[in-house]
Amino acid sequence: MLRAFSTAATGMTGQQMMVDVIANNLANINTNGFKRSQVDFQDLLYDQIQQPGIEVSSGINAPGGLEIGSGVRVGSTVKVFTPGELQSTGRSLDIAITGEGFLQVNMPNGEIRYTRDGALQVNANGEVVTTTGYSIEPAITIPIDALSVDVGKDGGVNVTDSSGTLSVVGNIQLARFANPAGLSNDGDNLLAETEASGTPTTGTPGESGFGTIQSGFLEKSNVQMVTELVNLITAQRAYEVNSRAIRAGDDMLRTANSIVR
Amino acid sequence: MAGITEQVLPSIDALMQEFYIITHNLANVSTAGYKRRCNAFSKSLEIQGSSLKTQSPGDIDLNAVFDFSQGSITQTGRAMDFALYGKGFFVIETPEGPLYTRNGMFRINPNGQIVNSEGRIVSGEGGPITIPTGVGPSQLSAASDGSISAGGTAIGKFRIVDFGGDEAKLVPAGANCYRMPEEDIAPITAEQVVVKQGYLESSNVKMVDELVDMMVVSRLYEANMKLVSAQRETSSSIVNLAMG
Repeated sequence: MLRAFSTAATGMTGQQMMVDVIANNLANINTNGFKRSQVDFQDLLYDQIQQPGIEVSSGINAPGGLEIGSGVRVGSTVKVFTPGELQSTGRSLDIAITGEGFLQVNMPNGEIRYTRDGALQVNANGEVVTTTGYSIEPAITIPIDALSVDVGKDGGVNVTDSSGTLSVVGNIQLARFANPAGLSNDGDNLLAETEASGTPTTGTPGESGFGTIQSGFLEKSNVQMVTELVNLITAQRAYEVNSRAIRAGDDMLRTANSIVR
Repeated sequence: MAGITEQVLPSIDALMQEFYIITHNLANVSTAGYKRRCNAFSKSLEIQGSSLKTQSPGDIDLNAVFDFSQGSITQTGRAMDFALYGKGFFVIETPEGPLYTRNGMFRINPNGQIVNSEGRIVSGEGGPITIPTGVGPSQLSAASDGSISAGGTAIGKFRIVDFGGDEAKLVPAGANCYRMPEEDIAPITAEQVVVKQGYLESSNVKMVDELVDMMVVSRLYEANMKLVSAQRETSSSIVNLAMG
């Protein structure tokens, strides 16, 4: 009977983790460039009590064996890289990537992180930075006398100075991975390269499969509230049903105990 | 007098096992591609009760077989999620031989190959399916027969097999996979199956059915236990009578 308890407990733990993932998805419903996660459940190993296909009597084989499983575990969480909705902001340094690719961000320790949050800012030195203040790679500096800034579809950053002349001050480059789902989350909308993601290839937006840059738009999160709420209800009910299995097991044990009084 | 206990104990054991199987099904109510195990023991007890046919516990079929009925297809929108509709399995390559699964939540490894969530290669008709560099998951598309194309160029086709009615003989290997039993059954190319990209097949465990089964099992268990305790009382009263 203890086995049934632990099996049901794995179910409850799994559903709890599902609720945690859903809660994080819902909490980030307004986070720019956020990608929802989905949970991959896997059944646990089985105890084989009877081999399938053994001969039960001469010439007759059992159609199946007797295997008792021991529950479930969360195999992994997978980030779902579907595009989020584009929201028009009208601000020229708000850029959305339509298609594949990540912006590259320089960390203070010299490492590179990746993001799809394109709400860019200009810092006191004129450098183009993310909302958290890290400069983007390759570094782009906006001259102090620039009147307006435009970002083209290919990532070219154009400025108009006070005399009305247009000049290109830099090009935004994108990075892409063979397996973007393998990137690890660093918080602050930043993703880090891992063994699983593979090494990045960089390139110009709009070329060789890279997405294009949409200036004046932000990519919102790809979390759909209704889907998450439906998943939440399912997880809650599944949690409940597993706890009920524990209670039923408890009742059965009580019956057994009541024999010996 | 010990006869009742001897008759009842096997069925208590069997009910317990059925209860374990039900809890395992319930734990996997959200596992993509999971197929429920069914255990017909309590049902056979019920049939026995209704037809009043006498049967010794040894004759009752205790085999847990799979219910390979189709699970519902849920949309996820993820390009690397594949649902199978109809009879068939994806083939996962491992050093110990192939594994079979219906969980199509796949990934891409750093070499661009399609792998399952444990990093094992998903078999294609002509070896692993490799996605050329420069093509992202969003540019992949899968036709209903399982052929994959990346940005319009065909790059491979999932190997999808069927066991022509012998799938109940498969052995569960955990992590949503099945392996071949020792006894030979041969995989054949699945024909009546449709691959749907961006969808997953949900577990085919139905919560209500499992709860009803669980209730039946726990009541039958209780009833069996009553027999044991009744027998204990009878024997103790006989002893009391004899001892005066």
